Amino acid sequence: MDRQEVYVIGRDSAPQYLRLDAGEELSMTLVVPPGTDTLYTLEVDLCGPGASLDLAGLYLCPEAGKVDLRVLVRHAVGGCTSRQLFKGIVGGTARAAFDGLIYVAQDAQKTQAFQENHTLLLSDTARVESRPQLEIYADDVQCSHGATTGYLNPDELFYMRSRGIPEAEARRLQMIAFLAPVLRRLPEPLIEEIHACLS
Amino acid sequence: MDELIKDIAAQEYKEGFVTEVAQEYIPKGLNEDIIRLISAKKGEPDWLLEFRLGAFRKWQKMRPPYWGHLRLPRIDFQDIIYWAAPKRAEDRPDEIDPALMETFDKLGIPLREREVLAGVKPKGEVAVDAVFDSVSVTTTFRKSLADKGIIFCSFSEAVREHPDLVRKYLATVVPAGDNYYAALNSAVFSDGSFCYVPKGVKCPMELSSYFRINAAGTGQFERTLIVADEGAQLSYMEGCTAPMRDENQLHAAVVEIIVEKDADVKYSTVQNWYPGDAQGRGGILNLVTKRGICRGSGSHLSWTQVETGSAVTWKYPSTILKGDYSSSEFYSVAMTNNRQQADTGTKMIHLGRGTRSRVVSKGISAGHSENSYRGLVQMGPAADGARNYSQCDSLLIGSRCGAHTFPVIRNQNPHAVVEHEATTSKISEDQLFYCTQRGIAPEDAVALIVGGYAREVLARLPMEFAVEAQKLLSVSLEGAVG
Repeated sequence: MDRQEVYVIGRDSAPQYLRLDAGEELSMTLVVPPGTDTLYTLEVDLCGPGASLDLAGLYLCPEAGKVDLRVLVRHAVGGCTSRQLFKGIVGGTARAAFDGLIYVAQDAQKTQAFQENHTLLLSDTARVESRPQLEIYADDVQCSHGATTGYLNPDELFYMRSRGIPEAEARRLQMIAFLAPVLRRLPEPLIEEIHACLS
Repeated sequence: MDELIKDIAAQEYKEGFVTEVAQEYIPKGLNEDIIRLISAKKGEPDWLLEFRLGAFRKWQKMRPPYWGHLRLPRIDFQDIIYWAAPKRAEDRPDEIDPALMETFDKLGIPLREREVLAGVKPKGEVAVDAVFDSVSVTTTFRKSLADKGIIFCSFSEAVREHPDLVRKYLATVVPAGDNYYAALNSAVFSDGSFCYVPKGVKCPMELSSYFRINAAGTGQFERTLIVADEGAQLSYMEGCTAPMRDENQLHAAVVEIIVEKDADVKYSTVQNWYPGDAQGRGGILNLVTKRGICRGSGSHLSWTQVETGSAVTWKYPSTILKGDYSSSEFYSVAMTNNRQQADTGTKMIHLGRGTRSRVVSKGISAGHSENSYRGLVQMGPAADGARNYSQCDSLLIGSRCGAHTFPVIRNQNPHAVVEHEATTSKISEDQLFYCTQRGIAPEDAVALIVGGYAREVLARLPMEFAVEAQKLLSVSLEGAVG
């Protein structure tokens, strides 16, 4: 990847519109740390063949607040690739919403576009909404999206506790494992920071 | 040229004929007097007229929904005849017009009980409620069903003969002001089917309704109410067709299903309204509200739909899972060709504990058509241990069509799991090559591949329907390849 960018929402000025021309490759990671209220919109246009976008994000709202992420990836021409992976942990009285649209224009053949959104819900009073959307006007494409919402697996928790790991630590490990695919894209200090706020 | 196109279109839609039969109409237009007239024609009690008027007043204040991924032609609600019925011969009011019998015969709908019983027709036993424009022509097997305590009749008869039941359940799932088209239906609904299966009774045969639009310039507004009491079981099928016309005709139906404790209802639809011609002229505007409620614990409601017809389809059969451990399924194949547009899907609203739902949607778009899946899965705060799995696949045939997926997942419960996945693809060259290389014509090969793709849903249909649905899919695809 030519460009690897990391933005912490609420701290860095993250771009709201991006345009990738022929052959351009971008890897971008967004982090919404705890205690951030945000409505963040991102629009990406893939305008030249061979452009490639690798987008990931994580949002942590363990206590309160409202996070609303809206991502639009537009494949204007064929032969481009986009991947998205968004992971969220929502607890307390927090509200989190993810709205992601993949748009594939007519004649944008040989497009590959993938999107995933997974959330963990930690409390009775938290709310999660996920709207993964596909709008496709070309036939020779590979597009897919997946979304899940769930909770920390009690079996895993039991496994760790029966081996002497305290409950709080076990939960922390589960959450770190859940976030791992996004965490590994971040610089070390930011990973430390996120680890710290999960405890 | 136009003639030629018409001919080709005629070949593809074999149900597109018109029955020449003396019909009676009420004047065009929609106002309170028209509603009073419809109500009077049907000899309805006051409470029902009040219900209609209430709905009409709500409807006047409402706006049509705009969020669908559809380009709807403007509908002039004053330019529609809201009630049309074949005339009955005055000297023999109880007899069915032979022309009508012939029509349903041609459509393959068995209305003669005797033949079915004597085994003249190889079909299994199916009780049919046949609705022609605004009235029910006949309902078969009523007697043998009544022996078991099952009520299966037209909606108008139910209002006359079982007013308490109708009053108890009407509009409990789809309130009069639910949405624009449901409100319109509540105001002007004509006939439809009513079905009640009492406690612990398993319905011995398939129940079905067949809707036929015949008259020009009319719309069809049927209303169906299905109630399965505790532990009851039934399977219901619905079919529909209309003649070919260059004008759009409106079909705004409401279906309500109430499933009590441990009851099991299976609802299947093969929707084959006239889809319009290749240029997108004419066709039925199918704007339908269907909703069921799993009221008691352990109840089960299953939706299966095959959507091949209609110029525009706007339809979201939904389930409210209120009873603990109730479950629901939604299996759908939506096929669009030429200029057809479909925006269809489901809503699964989980309220009770341990409720389960499964959604399998297969979209197929060809030609210049637009096909969207739109769905909602909601987990309420009390839906502990609830689960949903949704799978929405789209298949594109040709580079001028669109396939879209718009799901919404709303989770308010930390002990509920929702999973959704969707894919979009086309028929691969390899698959086609494999078939053609073995001497299968490209069109047959496509039909074969599409059949395989839709199999999971078609397998859910009752036998008679599955065969028809398979045929419909291949007919609808004609001219889509090459």
